Amino acid sequence: MSGKAVKVKITYCAECGYEPQALDLTKALMYEFGTQLTAIEIIPWESGTFDVSVDGELIHSMKREGGFPEHATVKSAVRSRLGSAPGV
Amino acid sequence: MTVDRARWDKGITYDEFKAAMTRNQERFAENESRVALDPETVRTFKSLPKPLRVLVLAEDWCGDVIANLPILGRLDKEVPALDVRIFYRDQNLDLMERWLNQGKYQSIPVFVFFDENFRELGHWIERPASVTERRAAERKKIFAAHPEFGSPDASVDQLPEDVRTRLQSELQKMREGMVAFANGEVQRELRELVSKVAV
Repeated sequence: MSGKAVKVKITYCAECGYEPQALDLTKALMYEFGTQLTAIEIIPWESGTFDVSVDGELIHSMKREGGFPEHATVKSAVRSRLGSAPGV
Repeated sequence: MTVDRARWDKGITYDEFKAAMTRNQERFAENESRVALDPETVRTFKSLPKPLRVLVLAEDWCGDVIANLPILGRLDKEVPALDVRIFYRDQNLDLMERWLNQGKYQSIPVFVFFDENFRELGHWIERPASVTERRAAERKKIFAAHPEFGSPDASVDQLPEDVRTRLQSELQKMREGMVAFANGEVQRELRELVSKVAV
């Protein structure tokens, strides 16, 4: 355990049916990092949004990158902030 | 992929769609009650020389479906020559692929007009461009009037929770204020489409 406080925010368009993608990513992060994460915040929004930020840094934006994020990309961003290698 | 009688019969009616909704049922009913059908719209549809089938792609979680399908539903009740069948988008992706928005987006609702023999006459997707444009302009005004909301292009997750709540409230007010305009624009586009394709 690194002791660092890492928070993930997932903002999804609640009018676009993106709940499954938001929940899948949340589940993947919960299983991968457990108590290493301080919090996972899920924010219902609109306008075709699917944004993911880790500790305030926008890792993925549907408007910027297009589509949904690869789970590996988000996990990698979390790991780099935790200072841990995969599986650690 | 063609739409024929067998496929058509797999669709559900407007009332069946409403009864099967698992969410947004109250919002949908409220929107339906607020639809003011323009007499010109009713006249245009009632003057159709032949029955018109309307295939709809929809889902009950979609904001544009909740906003715009009630307009077609009200027309369906007013105009005996209209026959509406609704198909869930996510269970009918072959149909969705045929009427993609700009050739790539699975936007709904989609209204596809057919004659009695399932010959496609025209289609309508999601919402009028005029509504999208006005909404964007109004959104810009909100951000300009409230510097605390930050940039309209920034992710809202950067905003403090109380500020985000106020922004959501402002956006909601803006959408409410646009309902009459948006409903009018939907009807105008449907009238124009039907006037062109009526045979």
